[in-house]
Amino acid sequence: MERILKLKTVCMMRTACALLVGLAGVGAGAAPASAETRSFVVSWFSQATYSNDHDCSGGVHPVIEEIYLRYAQRLGVSPEKIELWRKEFATGEDDRELQEFVGMRGRIDGQPVNPFSNPASVIDLHMPGLDGKYAYGFNLDGKGTDDPNAFEDPETHERGVEHQLYRALGCARAFRGSLEGRPTYWAWAWGQLKESQPAWLITITGQNLNQDGPVSIALERALEHLRSNSDGSPRQDMAYRIDPDPRSRNVFRGEIKGGVVTVSQHGDLRLLQNPLVAPELDLKNFHLRLKLNPDGLSKGFMGGYQPWHAIYFGFAGVGLGGEQQVMGDIPGSYYLMKRYADADPDPKTGQNMRISVTYYIEAVNAFVAPAAALKDRQTANR
Amino acid sequence: MNAKLTRRSVLRGVFNGAAVSLSLPFLDCFLDEHGTALASGAALPPVFGSWFQNLGLNPGRWKPDRVGAGFKNNVELQILDPFRDRLNVISGAKYFLDGRPLETHVSGVQIATMGSLPLGTTFDPSLDTFIADAIGSKTRFRSVEISLTGGRQSLSRSKGGAINTSEPSPAALYARLFGADFRDPNATQFTPDPLVMARRSVLSSLTDERLKIMSRVGASDRARLDAYFTSVRQIEQQLDIALTAPSPIETCSVPAAGVQEEPGRTVAAVEKNNKLFGALMAHAIACDQTRVFNINFGTQGLRTPGGLRDWHSLTHEEPIDPKLGYQREVTWFINFATGTFAQFLAQLDGYREGSGTVLDRSLILWQTDHGYARTHTMDDLPILTVGRAGGRLKTGLHVVMNGDPSTRVGLTVQQAMGVSVNSWGKLSNQTSKPLTDILA
Amino acid sequence: MHDPSLRKNPLRRSRLLWGSALAVVACGVIVTLLALKPHHGKATPGPAVTRRLTAEQFQNIIADVFGEDIDLGGRLEPDLRVDGLLAVGASQVSISPAGMEQYDAMGRAVAEQIVDARHRDQALPCKPAAAADFVEPCAREFLSKVGRLLYRRPLTDSQLQAYVTAARIGTETAKSFYEGVALSVAGMLSSPEFLFREEIVEPDPDRPGQYRLDAYSKASQLSFFLWNSAPDLKLLAAAGAGELQTKRGLARQVDRMMASPRLESGIRAFFVDDFRFDEFETLAKDSTLFPKFSAQVAAEAREQTLRTIVDVVLERNADYREIFTTKKTFMTPELGSIYRVPVFNDAPNGSPDAWQPYEFPAQDPRGGVLIQVAFTALHSPAGRSSPTIRGKALREIMLCQKVPSPPGDVDFTKFELASARGETTARQRLAVHATAPACAGCHKIMDPVGLSLEHFDGAGEFRTTDHGLPIDASGSLDAMKYTDSSGLAKAVAENPATPACLVDRLAAQALGRVNSSGERAWVKDLKQSFAASGYRMKPLIRDIALSDALYTVSAPAPRSGNTQEIGQ
Repeated sequence: MERILKLKTVCMMRTACALLVGLAGVGAGAAPASAETRSFVVSWFSQATYSNDHDCSGGVHPVIEEIYLRYAQRLGVSPEKIELWRKEFATGEDDRELQEFVGMRGRIDGQPVNPFSNPASVIDLHMPGLDGKYAYGFNLDGKGTDDPNAFEDPETHERGVEHQLYRALGCARAFRGSLEGRPTYWAWAWGQLKESQPAWLITITGQNLNQDGPVSIALERALEHLRSNSDGSPRQDMAYRIDPDPRSRNVFRGEIKGGVVTVSQHGDLRLLQNPLVAPELDLKNFHLRLKLNPDGLSKGFMGGYQPWHAIYFGFAGVGLGGEQQVMGDIPGSYYLMKRYADADPDPKTGQNMRISVTYYIEAVNAFVAPAAALKDRQTANR
Repeated sequence: MNAKLTRRSVLRGVFNGAAVSLSLPFLDCFLDEHGTALASGAALPPVFGSWFQNLGLNPGRWKPDRVGAGFKNNVELQILDPFRDRLNVISGAKYFLDGRPLETHVSGVQIATMGSLPLGTTFDPSLDTFIADAIGSKTRFRSVEISLTGGRQSLSRSKGGAINTSEPSPAALYARLFGADFRDPNATQFTPDPLVMARRSVLSSLTDERLKIMSRVGASDRARLDAYFTSVRQIEQQLDIALTAPSPIETCSVPAAGVQEEPGRTVAAVEKNNKLFGALMAHAIACDQTRVFNINFGTQGLRTPGGLRDWHSLTHEEPIDPKLGYQREVTWFINFATGTFAQFLAQLDGYREGSGTVLDRSLILWQTDHGYARTHTMDDLPILTVGRAGGRLKTGLHVVMNGDPSTRVGLTVQQAMGVSVNSWGKLSNQTSKPLTDILA
Repeated sequence: MHDPSLRKNPLRRSRLLWGSALAVVACGVIVTLLALKPHHGKATPGPAVTRRLTAEQFQNIIADVFGEDIDLGGRLEPDLRVDGLLAVGASQVSISPAGMEQYDAMGRAVAEQIVDARHRDQALPCKPAAAADFVEPCAREFLSKVGRLLYRRPLTDSQLQAYVTAARIGTETAKSFYEGVALSVAGMLSSPEFLFREEIVEPDPDRPGQYRLDAYSKASQLSFFLWNSAPDLKLLAAAGAGELQTKRGLARQVDRMMASPRLESGIRAFFVDDFRFDEFETLAKDSTLFPKFSAQVAAEAREQTLRTIVDVVLERNADYREIFTTKKTFMTPELGSIYRVPVFNDAPNGSPDAWQPYEFPAQDPRGGVLIQVAFTALHSPAGRSSPTIRGKALREIMLCQKVPSPPGDVDFTKFELASARGETTARQRLAVHATAPACAGCHKIMDPVGLSLEHFDGAGEFRTTDHGLPIDASGSLDAMKYTDSSGLAKAVAENPATPACLVDRLAAQALGRVNSSGERAWVKDLKQSFAASGYRMKPLIRDIALSDALYTVSAPAPRSGNTQEIGQ
């Protein structure tokens, strides 16, 4: 039965396959003459979290209201006023004064400034990071397998896993969750963007994808956004055109083993994302593991080192309203990421400019073809 | 009584001597009765409702333990216990085919509603039509048809073969009943809408010209056009009512519009919309917008989410559970449907009118298409009446009919509602014997 | 009509005598044959029928007369299907009180829009000096013009007078000229002459003792057949000038109307009726089992089948039977996902989906309308496929074959045992249909047909397994056996009942009733011509449109003459 399915898949993929083979400049050289190709569109993207009861010995961060009052206290607001503001929170009264205060809680030369665009001007509350044992991810630098403080992946049990973004944000409420029970921030961001953000496409090419062997993995961006069913679930078998923009064309050598695809030649992943949250996903030392599922959701992880300032300014874009409704203390995340960043030191200051991160992705089957090739075909047919 | 616009004064004033003949016989008695019956505090008028629920009940699980008064409900009717004092359970009735082939889930419906099987495409009117003839002329709507599982064909047929369209959407029914054209009987000020006056006048002025078509069409088409003209008279009647200051009805109140579920064949939609329909009908009856309603539960295609098979398929495909002795999933649906009926009754019963409730002055006739759906039996049918019809019906009785035609119940119900008829049905389904046990 | 052999037959002087004698005899025979051959003539016509406008006809007329932007604001009474067609049921339905409420409300809604600030100046040839002035000549002109289009014939003097009076009464009561005119138009829209298509007959001068439709009824008959709407101004003018009662005049109008893009409306209306697309209104699929299916998919599926058919029978004027086998169809990206074929957008991110032509590759067994979602999903329950329902639908719709109803005393125990085991294919579950003697008689004409469509699940999506087991899509249609759905398509295309069924239905749609016994010869004739033309629909439509059968009726039934009891 699998055989029949595969033959049908090949048969239906033929059009897309033929077009894909016509891709110029791919050059990975991993696609043999009679190749099997399967394509997917990413249907979920968020940081991979494994929150549990033993991962924040310093405590899960308090609610944003409480954090605001800490800022107030540190910035010299009188205790009476702080109590007044605490009551206003509880009763939901008009708290305009408090809002103005927190909305300008940065200080430069004693003057209040916007805290989101000037995070270094905000007091560092030294919120605790995560210190649990488990985190999804990869041993990016090949070191630390014997380090007792290093993460262990709860699925593969790989030791020495690097996921410093998880250390940084894992105790903040909006960033806690599991693969199924999704963290607030990431669920919100995805929901905001999936109907407009051009989708990401993954194409696996190999001799026979039902057997172990080498593969070529292409990660690209589509021209259109992800398509969903009427109940919001991702729609299988839609067709996406590959954006020719070279800023989002990536090919990696990898292998498939037991139905799981991994990257073996770790390079740089660059994918344009969206200007509202993060303009670009830039992962150095790119790692991937993706379990292919012919009938439903393929699930997996992407890891690497990402510039943390970019992550920060993606967060900062939501501003005061987003801080209160979705994210929690935004400038606080700046300090946490700064503290835990672990790669790419700045030559002058020594501050690490990249932070290790693991993202959890899901993907559904898709037809893909380069937009350019389609245009030619369509013009030819007219 | 305040000086109010009567139909006569409106029309006389408007036509100013233009020669137009009007022939609307009901209206002579309409105004007076309408005026006195309610204003003087006399008994509120009785109301008739029909509820059709296909696919029957499980034999052995619905018949009460004893005949006559003081019976205990069997398990599948226990959900109706809150109404037991106003409930009649009739068992032992039969649908007669007289040698005609059995059209499963169709023949029973036809006999139950029309008392006969159709000949070709000629259908008899359904029994609610006769009742509406007797009592439906006094209200804005002759009758209201509702379908609980979507679809717009009701089981109510008027003379000439027109099937009354049924309303699957509570929101649409709300707009029809309580929307722009609703005249609140308790409003302090009544000013007849000039536009309604204009419509009424225009409609009258066109009647003669329209009737000329009757002299041109063939005999077979005249019955259909007759039904059309009957429907037009309905509109005229509604306009007349709209032009008459309604007498205040103390217990009438306009309901709030509810949020409906998209009409359809899922149990969630049926449950939600049934509650809305129940509330709407209770208000509509209390505000005397109608005195006849017909509800088609409509079981074809009813499903639970993720269920591969609908109720009807299950009646045939599900094996009898050896431990339980009946089909488990089918029985779930039976209980769901009867529970839906109970909820509807509760809505009517929850609307107080003086010392009673809307349900007290109603007579709801519950029928089904087969005794046992699994084998399409046409005998030992469960038939129920709920409500006292304002005292015209004796209740709390289990009546056993030994193989008598089901039409005896239909005849009884018509007589209770004031239809002057002493026989109903055709061939072996014809009867002139009402159930005197339950006629008051 | 020429006999080609005559033209080719060379006459040489030496055989002149014989040749001319032969020619005379031949001519005589041919003339006699022509006279005898009931080409478009018939022995006994059928009865006149009065048809209620269908929902689509109502909408089309309003759009034609008052503009596409007029919103109906109501719901039309459901149509009734008789003998496979709503167009035939139209001659048997009336209008219920609830339905009349809706027609009345819609009439008012439409009339209000016609006289609103946006539309009134285009519609009415005047402006009243004061709001409540009744401008009689203006009202008369307007109502006469509109009435002719709505009634499909000029108003009689008394009709027009009644509407002018109504407009006056309305103006006086509502104190507004526009309101008065609107009320009068609303009256027209709920009158029986608008809502019902009456066939007005006159004695047929060519056949003494028989009757034919009068010119305007003829115009209606033609217009509703070809365009599914009321006659346009040109056709009404032709009727008024007596042109339709001549062969040439009729042919001129037929050709004009068939050359118009509006012919597509008529063809679509026929297939929407014939293929039972009204059932889409109550179509719902379980969203957990079929997450891809949605109302949008249903609407697109319906349109896909119509486009496929129109492409074959109209655009390419090809053999009708190709609709069952053609690999050419049309897709949207959403449909592409259901069929699991790549259908790429050709527009920027976020643009609405557009239709594009799609051709199944040669090695893909799919093709034709039988494997399209509008057939497979429409004839399946909400949670699964159904070979029996699909087989029955195919027989009834495409082959015009009646499937008897099930008997009342079916023993379902064997069936239950199969179902209870759960994990079985439809073929296995339905095996009882084939083995139990009481069932097999009828089911053998349905199940083997539907079982070949089992690769298409309840929502029309292609699948290779059923409950994890491979699908055997072999079957048979009468004598023809096949191994998959493409074989079924071929069997349907080659079945002689298929084109015969189309002719029967098309004739019934035109007549508004099933053809009478006296018309059988005519229908047989149509079928022969259809075959001779290569089963092309356009010549068939033209054939029917030019047939006397469409315009002659039997003697009207005697009337009782007394309308008094009706007027009460």
